[in-house]
Amino acid sequence: MTSSPDTEARKVTSLRELPQSIEPPHDLWPGIEAQLEDIPGAANGATPAQRRAVRLRWLAAAAMVACAAVGVWIGRSLLPGTPGGATAPVTASRAPAITGVAPTALDAAYVSDPRYQQQRAELVRALQARLATLPPSERDKVTASLQAIEKAKADLEQALGHDPSNALLQELLVNTYQDEMRVLTDVHEASDPGRGI
Amino acid sequence: MAHAQAEDTRVDWEGALVQRARTGDRRAFERLYREHAGRVYGLCLRMTRDAQLAEDCTQDTFINAWRALGKFETRSSLSTWLHRIAVNVSLAKRRKSGRVESPPEEEEGQGCEWTLETPVEVHEIESAIGELPEGARDALVLHALYGYSHIEAAQMLGIAEGTCKAQLHRARKLLRERLGMEVN
Repeated sequence: MTSSPDTEARKVTSLRELPQSIEPPHDLWPGIEAQLEDIPGAANGATPAQRRAVRLRWLAAAAMVACAAVGVWIGRSLLPGTPGGATAPVTASRAPAITGVAPTALDAAYVSDPRYQQQRAELVRALQARLATLPPSERDKVTASLQAIEKAKADLEQALGHDPSNALLQELLVNTYQDEMRVLTDVHEASDPGRGI
Repeated sequence: MAHAQAEDTRVDWEGALVQRARTGDRRAFERLYREHAGRVYGLCLRMTRDAQLAEDCTQDTFINAWRALGKFETRSSLSTWLHRIAVNVSLAKRRKSGRVESPPEEEEGQGCEWTLETPVEVHEIESAIGELPEGARDALVLHALYGYSHIEAAQMLGIAEGTCKAQLHRARKLLRERLGMEVN
């Protein structure tokens, strides 16, 4: 056994008193480190705990998005409708989309409020003229907003196509119509002299 | 209390080093090596009875640990985990060198404290342990010196608990003969 003379001369009365640690006769680290160079190392292998943490982070992010969506939904349900007074009710009418996409059979369920349909049609007709009066930066902002709304509507309609009875999707779709109406109304009002978006 | 706090601090510090080593930080891994090399080398030396082989086993233990660090659960003891690797490496080296002995029949061994009738010099008891047959020595080193339970020692050695107890019984009997005193 390689240990110091003092240790070897020491007397013990139990095996538990024997030293657990015996220092190697020379430093083994340089040899170990040299071999670590060729090994990809621990960094490449995620532990189960790390994988669980990643999954949890994704779940947390998904939960936050879901909470935000539900919060918006609840908020919209409790607050008054669009500034122009043309609120899209749950059974709101579905006017032709700004991009001219033909309404689907699913959309027909929302076409039941003539006032909403009429007001929206007027706003859409006036949109291009109104946009022309806006400064370029605000025009871009409005165009981007309307495109985002169109995309949201398309996604929601597609999702409802797979799950037509999903109440949350239906509410979100109606809310999206309300958003669209709010933007159209804002554009209409902003194009009046002395106002901005 | 103070000891417990010191232990907690040590474990936290060690956990942080493990985390850093997992990201590829070799300096952190070196510090872990410095902390545990003595205990790993001590175990390898007692299992192999060969200084050069023990050095090789110690090196391989830390290289394997680096490779598998991603699988290490930080809740468990790094020291125990390294010992498990060291035992596997030492057994594999011994098998490679052709030194294999047949295990004894399983029997119910007696629990004991491994206390000696009269004080014995370290080199004398180490020498007596070194002369034990491998199976008995492995079980004795893990159980009596490093404090692992019968089950833990058996798992580390890849043998049945009954076999481990039988090996300990055998080790005690042989130590008693070689030291010429009771080992209780």
